[in-house]
Amino acid sequence: LHAAEEEARVVILNGVDPYLPAYLVMDSAMRASLATYSTRRVAFFSEPLDAQRFPVQVLEPEFVALMTKKYHALRIDVVVAVTRPALDFFSRHGEELWPGARLVFHSVARNDIDLAKVPPNAIGVVARRDIRGTVDIARRLQPDARRILVISGASELDLVLEREARDVLSTDADTASVEFLSGWPLPELLVRVAAEPATTIIVYLTQFRDRDGRPHIPGNVQRALSGASAAPIYSPFETHIAAGAAAGSVESFEETGRFAGEQVRAVLDNGPRAPGRAVLEVPSRCVANARALKRWSMDERRLPDGCEIRFADRSYWRENFWQIVAALAVIVGQGLLIATLFVQRRRRRVAEGESRKRYAEMTHMNRRVAMGELSASIAHELNQPLGAIRNNAGAAEILIKADPPRLQEVAEILDDIKRDDQRASDVIARFRKMLQKAEFEVKNMDLNNAITETVRLLDSEASAKEISLRTELDPRLPEVSADRVQVQQVILNLALNAMEAMHSQPANRRVLVIRSARADRSEAEVSVTDTGPGIPAEMLDRVFEPFVTTKASGMGLGLAISRTIVEAHGGHISAESSPGGGAVLRFTLPLAPPRSA
Amino acid sequence: MAAPGIVHVVDDDASWRMSVGRLLRAAGYQVVLYESAEQFLKAATIDARGCILLDIRMPGLSGLNLQQRLLDDGRQTLPIVFLSGHGDIPTTVLAMKAGAENFLTKPVDTEVLLATVSKAIERGREGRARRERLDEQRARVAALTPTERKVFDLVVRGKLNKQIASELGSVERTIKWHRHNIMEKLQLGSLAELVSLAERLGLVGANEPPNGAPH
Repeated sequence: LHAAEEEARVVILNGVDPYLPAYLVMDSAMRASLATYSTRRVAFFSEPLDAQRFPVQVLEPEFVALMTKKYHALRIDVVVAVTRPALDFFSRHGEELWPGARLVFHSVARNDIDLAKVPPNAIGVVARRDIRGTVDIARRLQPDARRILVISGASELDLVLEREARDVLSTDADTASVEFLSGWPLPELLVRVAAEPATTIIVYLTQFRDRDGRPHIPGNVQRALSGASAAPIYSPFETHIAAGAAAGSVESFEETGRFAGEQVRAVLDNGPRAPGRAVLEVPSRCVANARALKRWSMDERRLPDGCEIRFADRSYWRENFWQIVAALAVIVGQGLLIATLFVQRRRRRVAEGESRKRYAEMTHMNRRVAMGELSASIAHELNQPLGAIRNNAGAAEILIKADPPRLQEVAEILDDIKRDDQRASDVIARFRKMLQKAEFEVKNMDLNNAITETVRLLDSEASAKEISLRTELDPRLPEVSADRVQVQQVILNLALNAMEAMHSQPANRRVLVIRSARADRSEAEVSVTDTGPGIPAEMLDRVFEPFVTTKASGMGLGLAISRTIVEAHGGHISAESSPGGGAVLRFTLPLAPPRSA
Repeated sequence: MAAPGIVHVVDDDASWRMSVGRLLRAAGYQVVLYESAEQFLKAATIDARGCILLDIRMPGLSGLNLQQRLLDDGRQTLPIVFLSGHGDIPTTVLAMKAGAENFLTKPVDTEVLLATVSKAIERGREGRARRERLDEQRARVAALTPTERKVFDLVVRGKLNKQIASELGSVERTIKWHRHNIMEKLQLGSLAELVSLAERLGLVGANEPPNGAPH
């Protein structure tokens, strides 16, 4: 007898990729059944051959060498061979690699076993892959089907299965036409199944590889097919039902795994004397996918009795009555709450509407006041081109009366008149734009351009007040997201304020600089710097409050309104004293989101 | 119209400057354009006949500054017509007090502009003639002999020949003779004219006579 304290070692030799869903289910079920095994601790060693993607023959010498190196000093109790390539590998090398180890195999089709090659004391859980049963279920669901389409792959395992299917379906040839799509690449398959009439029965076996050698995960192929197919798809594999096949006669992978685990356990318990060459079967049964049945509009009552319907939502009412009642109570309660909130929201919206209206009125009024302050210089601005037009007209009058009339000069004069007229119109347009009562409209805008235009409104006033007005604009400033007129209004307010502040300075010390710069990743900043007396420290925080003013005249509303506007844009405004005397007022605006290309 | 004179246009607004230049040239004037007061100070030959059309509001030296500068330098010999985009009363008053010829608001009616310029040039011409006459007379006074000059100063202070003779240590007859020569040289006919001239030249009661007796 083996020493009870010695651990049992089990090598799991998987012929394909052990991470495919079916093998994960089987593997974890097997390990779970062995976990309860209390006599000995079980250590698992996992060796994937992945024969679907890497042909065994090519790699065999290296793989054998690797196995020899790994296991030459390790006694192995059981080798679990999963799928046919693993079984074949064990037949060839098992004896030398793992001497004395017993073989337990599963996931091999019953009619695919060459029993002569299987070691005498092996135990196998064979797979039925009930293609017949699956086709029978299909025919029950679609009694009028006259056409059966079988989809399979081009790998060795695929071909074994396909051969089996050809065999099984030979009896159907009398009642339906049977067509095999062997190893078709997925895109072609999808086009084909999408064009198939709904009455066709499609049986999907497996596709580990297509005829171009492209490897696939069979479950993913199923998923793609069920998404595209116009006709229902059936499969003898449990995982394919989950991936969207309508129904099939399937063996439970979990059951298979558990069953295999029990065989391993029996071997470990009984040691070398355990009976061998037992070939066992897991029963297959009907499983259907309720969603898939619905998708292809099939009546589940046609399914054989006792067919397990998975992914159904309909028994919900029955099973969860009280939960549903509770949920409904919550929903009703929430409904009432929402209704209450809705009423409140409407009230708030009315209030917001009013406050928006007041905001619009207030900003408009402020613009009118600001433009009023500029009216004298705007009149001046306007009188320049008007004066020029008058002079030119007078000159033209004289030149036309000359003998001979000096028409060439008159033509030049007319050109100049047009230009001056345009200039006057521009002045009026700028003026009018600021006076318009416009909706608050946030758009992407060029901040530098807005500053330049505001400066043109201010130029004349600055020159009247003998102020040197300069701009320093960051040419790489991105667009900001703001209402253009209101941004100009803020600049206007700050600039007029600064001009007023410099009133008492000697003429050569009146400098007003408007700068633009990028504040950070998300904001741009405009600053207005003057050379006035500055703002007393105790006033710095208060200058943006309404009716607070450091000026002799004015209501102190310009800065308060500016703050309201800037904050309505999501920016902020601040005042500080500049080191050289004078004040700096700055505000920020959010940058426009980058334009998608 | 024979060479009506030069109009100096000082205005920073290019299109206004050009248009007024064009109008005045069409009306037969010679025109010189300046885009700033500084440029005018540098370039203008002030003694030419004509007038200045001066914009009130300009960057740098304003029109009023320029007027003041010309007054300070004693160069304001050309009449100044001020122009403004909009006339405000305080500015107008300042300009007129400093001797401006006129004050116009843009846009200016063509007739008014031409009439004002013409009148300003005329006034300039009169002023110039007056100044020339005075200069001439000042030159004549300067050409008197030292003794004649002493006699001149005492005469315009109302001294009698006898008093003058005693003051200068001379005799009445010699003083009479000097007076006769003075009237000849200054081309004057009467004592009243002599006193009026002295007043115009600022020689009445101002300084003591250059070589005044030290008593």
